[in-house]
Amino acid sequence: MGDLQPSALTAYIEASRPVGVLPQDSHHHALAAQVLHNLQYQHDWTDLRIHTDSSHSARPLLKPLVSGLPPHRIYVHPDEQIEMLKQSVQEKDVPSEREWVLPTHLRETWSLRKFAELFDGIDPVPPAENQASEEKPPFPTAKGGIGSRRGGKRLMLATVGDDSTVVYYVVHDGIVKPRQN
Amino acid sequence: MTVQDSLLAPDLPFPIFQISQTVRRYLLYDINTVTWLRRTHNILGVFIGSLPQSPQQNVFFGLPMELQPEEATLLVEKGLAFIADDFRTHKQAVRSPPRAMANYKATARKEALATAKAVTKQKQLKTQEVLQRLNVRQGTPDADNTVDNDEPDESIFDTSTQETSSRPVSSSVIPYSSTPTTSYPPIPTPSKQSSLPLPEVSASSYALFKHLHALGYFMSPGLRFGCQFSVYPGDPLRFHSHFLAMGHDWDEEIDILDLIGGGRLGTGVKKGWLIGGAVKNSDDNEKHVATSEDGQSEIGRKPGDFHVRTFCVEWSGM
Repeated sequence: MGDLQPSALTAYIEASRPVGVLPQDSHHHALAAQVLHNLQYQHDWTDLRIHTDSSHSARPLLKPLVSGLPPHRIYVHPDEQIEMLKQSVQEKDVPSEREWVLPTHLRETWSLRKFAELFDGIDPVPPAENQASEEKPPFPTAKGGIGSRRGGKRLMLATVGDDSTVVYYVVHDGIVKPRQN
Repeated sequence: MTVQDSLLAPDLPFPIFQISQTVRRYLLYDINTVTWLRRTHNILGVFIGSLPQSPQQNVFFGLPMELQPEEATLLVEKGLAFIADDFRTHKQAVRSPPRAMANYKATARKEALATAKAVTKQKQLKTQEVLQRLNVRQGTPDADNTVDNDEPDESIFDTSTQETSSRPVSSSVIPYSSTPTTSYPPIPTPSKQSSLPLPEVSASSYALFKHLHALGYFMSPGLRFGCQFSVYPGDPLRFHSHFLAMGHDWDEEIDILDLIGGGRLGTGVKKGWLIGGAVKNSDDNEKHVATSEDGQSEIGRKPGDFHVRTFCVEWSGM
């Protein structure tokens, strides 16, 4: 029997344990690290970071959030889908958008109040780590045109199961009509 | 409102009949009210009347229409309707002045007799037509038979027809039993004084229902999708539903598994899982009251009214 090595994920979570006093519990940070790991190595997201404080109010966020840049567009609003079809624009030609990710565990419970507080604490677009990456080649982003952000605030609900499976759901703030996949 | 609309509008407030005191159900019996509500107030209800001859029927229901408690509450709150006690109304109606009842019965009998006469006449005409045709066909080749042709031919048909045909249509015709499809000529509309208290609705689901209704959505019961309301952006005859809505209290603990299950179910049927409820303490959310996310003007909100926040869940596809 050799020495049992912790898994790569466990080692990663241990290594990314935050130092100092943070407004959220440490297990939520471990969860955030696990989701970040999953996004980075399973879904090829880039420019990932963990947010602990609200971007526009002094209050800390309810839970640590992850933000990052997916390799392709995660969410396409149904109206935009129609316009893209009309103008025969391929989905890969539309630049991807930075997304908010909320790490949760399957056994958690959430309430309307928590969702409302969380949405009130974030901007529609997550702030990028380095400003350079934000300067994408500008697609014709007239308001309401293809490539412009639509549908109000949204975040990806990342839920970790006991077997380390992570599932991602889009949660919109307000009434946003569903996509026609 | 066009002239036609105003003609079809029921007398307001119209009665919603509550049957049973234990399991309360809210029924509408008047088709004009039903169509008017659907066209001008986005109220769908559910038709529950089936044909007595097909007890297994589960599609194409007819009157009466059952309203969801939320729908009934909304109509009463808007002052369009009141809740009438079906049991008491029925008892009163049955005890209505005997003369009116007698008149009604006489009219019904007259109608039934007229129907019976018309049917008998029709039968006779048909018989004569057939007889004539037979006469023409058999009469031409054999001229001798023409004299007694009438007798054997008529005997083919049963004698009762012969008897009635020999006599003019008379009172001996047995009147058909008539089943009136409507009962309202003799039954008076119940008075508003006898109105019952508002239906019992859960505060969270009613807040969500009212919010979506005010935005112009149509709601039908969501049992088949495991939610409270299926939310349609227009009349369900023209649109598929957009959302599966679930009302929650502001601080109600929602299992993440329920959100995921709902999101997955909704995405599977091209809908969004919508959760929502009334905002509890308003100090945090004043900003949202001022600028509602949907641009709906907040003017005309009564102080007792609440602000509702909603969230939509969809599968992300990754």
